[in-house]
Amino acid sequence: MHIRRFAALIAAAALIPAGVMAAEPIKIGFPIPLSGPTATYGMPILQGAQLAAQEINAKGGVLGRKIEILPRDSKANPDTAVRLARELIIKDGVNFLVGTLTSAEAPAVSTVAKENKVVFLVPSAKLVDLTEPSNLHPYIFRVSSNTTIEGQSGAIIMAKWPGIKRVATIAPDYAYGHEDIAAFIAKLKQLRPDIQIVDQEWPKLGESDFTPFITAQMGKKPDAVYCALFAGDFISFVKQATPLGYFKAIHNRLADGGEVGAVDETMPLGAAYPYGIWADAYDPVIWGPGEPPAHKAFERHLRAFTHSKYGSGWSVMGYIPIVALAEAVKKAGSVDEDKVAHALLGLTIDTPIGKRTFHAKTHETEMGEFWGVMVKNPAYPFAVIKNPVYYDPEPQPTTN
Amino acid sequence: MSAASVFGQMMSGLTSAMFLFLIASGLSLVFGVMRVINFAHGSFYMLGAYLAWQAVRWFQPAGAAFWAAALVAALGVALLGGIVERLLLRHLYGRDELYQLLLTYALVLILGDVAKFVWGTGQLSVARPPVLAGSVQIFGTTQPAYNLFIMAFGLAIAVFGWLALTKSGAGRLVRAAAYDREMLDALGANVGAIYTGMFVVSSFLAGLSGALVTPIESIVPGMDVLIIVQAFIVVVIGGMGSFWGTFWGSVIYGQVLSFGILIYPAFSLFSVFALMAVILIIRPWGLFGRPLR
Repeated sequence: MHIRRFAALIAAAALIPAGVMAAEPIKIGFPIPLSGPTATYGMPILQGAQLAAQEINAKGGVLGRKIEILPRDSKANPDTAVRLARELIIKDGVNFLVGTLTSAEAPAVSTVAKENKVVFLVPSAKLVDLTEPSNLHPYIFRVSSNTTIEGQSGAIIMAKWPGIKRVATIAPDYAYGHEDIAAFIAKLKQLRPDIQIVDQEWPKLGESDFTPFITAQMGKKPDAVYCALFAGDFISFVKQATPLGYFKAIHNRLADGGEVGAVDETMPLGAAYPYGIWADAYDPVIWGPGEPPAHKAFERHLRAFTHSKYGSGWSVMGYIPIVALAEAVKKAGSVDEDKVAHALLGLTIDTPIGKRTFHAKTHETEMGEFWGVMVKNPAYPFAVIKNPVYYDPEPQPTTN
Repeated sequence: MSAASVFGQMMSGLTSAMFLFLIASGLSLVFGVMRVINFAHGSFYMLGAYLAWQAVRWFQPAGAAFWAAALVAALGVALLGGIVERLLLRHLYGRDELYQLLLTYALVLILGDVAKFVWGTGQLSVARPPVLAGSVQIFGTTQPAYNLFIMAFGLAIAVFGWLALTKSGAGRLVRAAAYDREMLDALGANVGAIYTGMFVVSSFLAGLSGALVTPIESIVPGMDVLIIVQAFIVVVIGGMGSFWGTFWGSVIYGQVLSFGILIYPAFSLFSVFALMAVILIIRPWGLFGRPLR
């Protein structure tokens, strides 16, 4: 009797440590701008991630462990992002890193991830450099699109427009803007060698007054414009360009690859949006007839989670990396960095916007975006993408 | 380049100049005349913009919503400026300017977070007031009516500010206070009230400029720091203590930017710094300034 009870106690005692370990959460460090001009995208991306974590935890977590997101405000500053990443790894002991917004922060944190051998997923930075062979390492993965895809998509779309002979560009004067325009011009020359680039404007990032750039560009009389302005810059640009007759002069033949078709941009502009331009978004939010059912459910949950009426076109980019990590950990059967990194290679995941694959060679999803003409929709007080179409100029073969 | 294009580019330069001058005018008072380093001037400008957006939403049913909203925003920020000056800044006047910089920088961070807490991180936009929504054709170029209004308003502020500072009794007292606080105090003037008054006026101008800029710019968190360096530079270029100096400094900056980008497209990134370097080399005390005492 005594021995049996003793054996039962020992068995119970042996189980307890396992129980304790199962309760320890999987920590994901999330440095992203939560203040300043870029917080307008940083915040919804974080919310998308938190929604994913909540949904996964409600189903029991991953390998019996709950996911815990540790958000930190990087202020879009690479030095701050690096410091936060280090703290998250060393002090908070995170298992993985997801985050940064800008193309300046991402490569900096990538170096930290490489040094500390921590898997790092990037939801937003588009700079091609991030995964160039010289910078590529086993632990860096990109969910977002890149400037090559963006610029080429713009060129493919504009090449189809009839009667275009003179094209101008306007983009923010930093690495992202330059890469995007370079990719655009290269592809456009390939598709339509007859088109001439007549003007290029380079306002600085965060420019508040675009008037001199607008009038200078109008002076060159372009037929169409490729624009890489985004966020607050795009809004200011539109508000200043419209009364100057800029959009009228080009008959709204403007394409912008900076996600200005997302509700986050169309809502503030409201009726002042330049209807008729082509714009894109990772997530069109208001989709129309082609909407995948998974997206409908995602939108419902997102709106409830964020207490917002229309959600955001950016949250899906925070949602996907968390889902990807959960899948990878499940596939690897552990949170070991090398195993998870290996599990991510070639991994295909279901997302609310379609299937996406992390290509084994590039560590990127090579994601395209949904483009379309921006039109009025009586059901909404803002512009929506008409019949959003997914553009992926260079679909990579799925190699494993 | 056709004459019309040159005219158009010149008017663009004037537009940029006047928007910058509106913001810099308040700074010219508090930094140029009173030599108080108020880094939070940009935050007052940002709060003026947010308050104007909020007030427009409240006054929506009424017709003249925009103008009432702009006034309410300016008054709100003026009140905040008065409180800041009385409770916080006035303890630092006699001391090293570094303390003023530190305090006002702390205010920048605090006010930035307050704005984020109240209005969130999204971008906000205000429509043009209907009476100024159109454009005018001048010399073959399209000039938006609102831009012309801002140009006229900026000029009016410059004239009014100069008259007030140089010709009025209150203006004399302000300049005296900036020149020698202790002597003025000994002569019986209420120096404390003068400083508070000037700060309130400066804050009013900052809030008003923030409100007036909302029809043509996006309201975003971070707009406080994006503009403040340019405003400081324009005050320094124009010469400390000179309202007209800030005005002409803005005008020159606007033209240099406007025509500079035609020659060298990447100019906007450093245009204001290049201009500052050139002017300070030629005239270290700014265009209209006098050699420091």
